[in-house]
Amino acid sequence: MTMKESNPVLRTAQVLFRDYLVLVMIAVLVAITAIVEPKFMSPLNLVNIMRQFGPLMMVSLGMTFVIIGGFIDLSVAGIINLVAVVTISLIQPIGQVPALLTGLGIGAACGVLNSVVILSSGALTQAEALFLTFGMSTVFSATALLYSHGSTMHFWDIKTSKSIFETIGAGTLGPVSVSFVIFLGVLFLLWIFQTKTTEGRAIGLTGGNKTAARLSGIRISRAIVVIYTICGLMTGLGAIVLFSRITTAAPVIGAGYETNAILSVVVGGTTLKGGKGSVLRTVMGVLLVVLMSNCLNLLGVSTYLQVAVKGAILVLAIWLDNRKQV
Amino acid sequence: MESVGSDIILSIKDVSKSFPGVHALDKVSIDFRRAVVHGIVGENGAGKSTLMKILSGVYQKDSGLVVFDGQSIEYTTPYESMQRGLAIIYQELNLVNTMSVGENVFLGRFKEMKGMRGTHAKARELLDSIGCKVSTTKLVSELSVSTKQMVEIAKALSFKSKLIIMDEPSSSLTAEEMAELVKIIHQLKAQGISIIYISHKLDEIFEFCDIVSVMRDGRVIDTKPKSDFTRNELITKMVGRTIENEYPPRPRSVGETLMEVRSINTHKLHDISFTLKKGEILGFVGLVGAGRTEIVRALFGADKVRGHRVLIDGKSVTIRNPKEAKDAGLGFIPEDRKLQGLVLPFSVESNISMASITNFSKFGFIRKSLEKGIGARQVQALAIKTPSTKVPVVNLSGGNQQKCIVGRWLEIAPKIFIMDEPTRGIDVGAKYEIYVLMRKIVEEGGAIILISSELPEVLNMSNRVLTIFEGRITGEFEPESTPIDTIMSAALGLRGGAA
Repeated sequence: MTMKESNPVLRTAQVLFRDYLVLVMIAVLVAITAIVEPKFMSPLNLVNIMRQFGPLMMVSLGMTFVIIGGFIDLSVAGIINLVAVVTISLIQPIGQVPALLTGLGIGAACGVLNSVVILSSGALTQAEALFLTFGMSTVFSATALLYSHGSTMHFWDIKTSKSIFETIGAGTLGPVSVSFVIFLGVLFLLWIFQTKTTEGRAIGLTGGNKTAARLSGIRISRAIVVIYTICGLMTGLGAIVLFSRITTAAPVIGAGYETNAILSVVVGGTTLKGGKGSVLRTVMGVLLVVLMSNCLNLLGVSTYLQVAVKGAILVLAIWLDNRKQV
Repeated sequence: MESVGSDIILSIKDVSKSFPGVHALDKVSIDFRRAVVHGIVGENGAGKSTLMKILSGVYQKDSGLVVFDGQSIEYTTPYESMQRGLAIIYQELNLVNTMSVGENVFLGRFKEMKGMRGTHAKARELLDSIGCKVSTTKLVSELSVSTKQMVEIAKALSFKSKLIIMDEPSSSLTAEEMAELVKIIHQLKAQGISIIYISHKLDEIFEFCDIVSVMRDGRVIDTKPKSDFTRNELITKMVGRTIENEYPPRPRSVGETLMEVRSINTHKLHDISFTLKKGEILGFVGLVGAGRTEIVRALFGADKVRGHRVLIDGKSVTIRNPKEAKDAGLGFIPEDRKLQGLVLPFSVESNISMASITNFSKFGFIRKSLEKGIGARQVQALAIKTPSTKVPVVNLSGGNQQKCIVGRWLEIAPKIFIMDEPTRGIDVGAKYEIYVLMRKIVEEGGAIILISSELPEVLNMSNRVLTIFEGRITGEFEPESTPIDTIMSAALGLRGGAA
């Protein structure tokens, strides 16, 4: 049984299968659903899926950097809550462009705050970051609740122009939605940043071995600030895409985004151990997670069971990741 | 099929193992006899560690036969092999720092020991049997490396081991601690326990091994009684070629003062001041824990140390972190290659380019062609053995990994190169190559601060040595003209603290 491992062809096949398992799973999922439920392939449903993955995609892309850098960010749910309620409330008083920029700014500021908390406490492990950002998430959520007094705000309450948000939420550019175009643009920038810049490399090296990176003169503190800022900013963008699509913002709309984002990143194949990963993998991961929700919905699977399935997949993905030899 | 009770405790036949791109073991066969100290020597990458990991169950073999104590072993785990009576004491010891000595000896088996009282009592017995006096309630984190090793040996004995494998046990032991270990090895042998002793240090092999196997490139080159080997023959078989000298001639190019360090003070270091000249290798001699590493870490900005002054070329420089040290022209090879030096999952190329990559970027973008050039240049210049610059650095042998770190710094041409244990865990051949490199660096006008636990290495490579004892500089010597005893007594603090 151990002999076949040494066969180079089989070995390569194994590696490919393991590394691109997510693509195989997507294909299988699409095929099964399309057969069982023909509605799945209808243009309406496909457009629906494209819209659905917008917010999660933004958050997950940001989360990818944090995880490649060897950390984790549980505060994204809190950031979504805060950015959504603040931004929507500002559209009328200060105008839509300033509101949009403020929203993104708050997202980035929350990220900076996370990194400052982590750096100043001297936390250098993923576990410490997990607890710290979990704490920050409650801070952000509580701020959102205090700010909004717990109430939900709707687009129809806004008297002034909110065209930008309406375009983000429902506009189309030819056959594709505006949010999809935003996604492509952002993905391109992040991909360039991750693979072509020295800071992107520094983030990977930091995630691969913090001590070695630091002793080679790489500024790991800066890398930590950068990853959390990107994550905060992308989460802010995700929050805006989210409330623009549903035209409402409640201080609890971010719930569950942290697990889904981590799930997407890990299922995509970025290792939780840090160092190795890619934003492109995360795209596949998000696709799989959203497709899965969609197909489970079409198949009439209960929400409770869906949560269980997602949890099981997260555990499975981490399990597989840990079994990979370095 | 060997029968139980035969003379052979462990028989390995035609065992092979390959990793992507590397044939780590190629039909290795060795028989290990009962109550015999069997030395295994070989360069790093020769396959010694892989073989040991297969025996202990960390890796699974691809093919071949392993028979332990008359029982053929197909698949095993580290715990199973310990229970079977095969224990391994790794170079990087496997103890839980936050638990007591006694708890470590019987980790996970407190129930069998009837609770903590039984655990400590039984651990006491085992430690006494090897003449180790450490209290069983002491925390492992407070122990010296040698005492930790004793605890590991006690743990191995607790499993009624028939065979104990020691992987480079002496790499961080002082001479006295080593003598202690030798005594224990003889004692174990007298009890009928076999020892497999893996080492790079030929002196040790000749001192107490009965049989020696030489490995090279994943094969066993020769196995015979120690007395049938000559020292030169052993070296030649290890490296596959003849090596004339163990050290290159000392550099002769010492010039004017390059760096001046004034009064480093921490809770561990006291008023450390010294100078470093151009073209010089300055050695730090002292016991493990004397503060040698702390000095260079403070200098390099790796630890938060304030209040001292550093002048390079007569100009005062501020070094608060490694980045500033790099910018000031310092390079640093840390003592622990894997934990502090390498980013293991990354490629050889990225590991080599990681210190210089920002210097060669354009508007923050990596210039891929330049990076490729850096990798290829250093791989060629340092003769790094690797199938390509794209393979993960983890696949390389220790010596080649170390060369990657050297190459990383050579690329920024540091004026001052700090090397903390640059040849730890590296074989004779690669060691010599590193020595030649060191010489080349100083001849080109650089300077090196060398820390090493191997006294011959520091004394033969350095122009000047500083002895360090309990955080103080206790003397300054020219090793060429000073008797070793004088230097050693200063390093042991016997001259009454000259500083």
